[in-house]
Amino acid sequence: MKLQELMTTKIESVDADKSVYDAVEKMVDRRIRALLVRFSGKDPHHGIITARDIVFKVLAKGLSPKKIKVSEIASKPVVCFDKDTDINEAASLMEKKKIARAFICEGEKIIGVISLIDIMAGALIMRAKR
Amino acid sequence: MFLEKILSIGKKEQEVTSNMRKHIKSLCSTCDLFRTALEKHDRNLMRNLIDLERESDSTRREIISKIHEGAFLPYLRPDLCRFVEIVDHVFDVLEDTVLYYLDGKIPEQIKNECIRVAYLNSKICEMFLITFEAMLKGDDLREKTLAIRIYEKKIDDIKFSLIRDIHKIPISNFWEGKILSDFISGLTNISDIIEDASDYLQIINVSMK
Repeated sequence: MKLQELMTTKIESVDADKSVYDAVEKMVDRRIRALLVRFSGKDPHHGIITARDIVFKVLAKGLSPKKIKVSEIASKPVVCFDKDTDINEAASLMEKKKIARAFICEGEKIIGVISLIDIMAGALIMRAKR
Repeated sequence: MFLEKILSIGKKEQEVTSNMRKHIKSLCSTCDLFRTALEKHDRNLMRNLIDLERESDSTRREIISKIHEGAFLPYLRPDLCRFVEIVDHVFDVLEDTVLYYLDGKIPEQIKNECIRVAYLNSKICEMFLITFEAMLKGDDLREKTLAIRIYEKKIDDIKFSLIRDIHKIPISNFWEGKILSDFISGLTNISDIIEDASDYLQIINVSMK
């Protein structure tokens, strides 16, 4: 099974110069655990900010999410897979890189996102098709 | 294998199961065509889907008449008829969705997500056919219906994001908004009804054992 079958194509994002508070607001509102970070200017690379980053790097340290910018804690560059990548291959790459989600890219363009729960769902669908 | 034995007792039963298979296969083709038409913005191809709905009506009538002519044991007939009606309802909703598409215009902001739903509708239909074939063999349907629910959940997630997105789209008059809203409802309800049909398959399967 290919990643394109399971990816989520609606990608929620936040600008890198916004505050972590803005990111938290969006994540809680949309019930998602990560946001794509868009950098302005000449920087073509995207980043990612996850609930884990926010909790460990800001909240657990007693820092104010309003005073910290998303760019300060975002991870960059993001891990990208081709839409035709097999889910087993993606699972093994995610395990090696110790990441819970990756983006699906077509050239420079991000067309989707895949998470561990999507990989699990894919595994169940494959079993059902047998 | 028990179910296969029951379902293949006589000629009438075989005709019914073969027509039911044809009905579901036709549903899969219709979902595929809908997706292609939506991707290519092909209005003529969309119009062709209306004919497929008419064919489905005739297949449904054939199946129901055969059942009433005496195919299958009486206690099975109401469930089989109900199942066929549910499958036919998917065609009806698809047809309505096609008409809304032809009447209105999908805003660029939501086009990709609508295509994504159409793609997942094709996939759920493919899984539905696999589930039906498994029921005929008397296999356990637990894993198959779970796969259908996974696809349905994915479509549900997109549905909520589509509803959120259309709130931001400027609408010039009441009918434009209504048609767009009905189009999205139709597009995202297809998987709901297929899920209901798969639950019915499970009921039929269990009632046989």
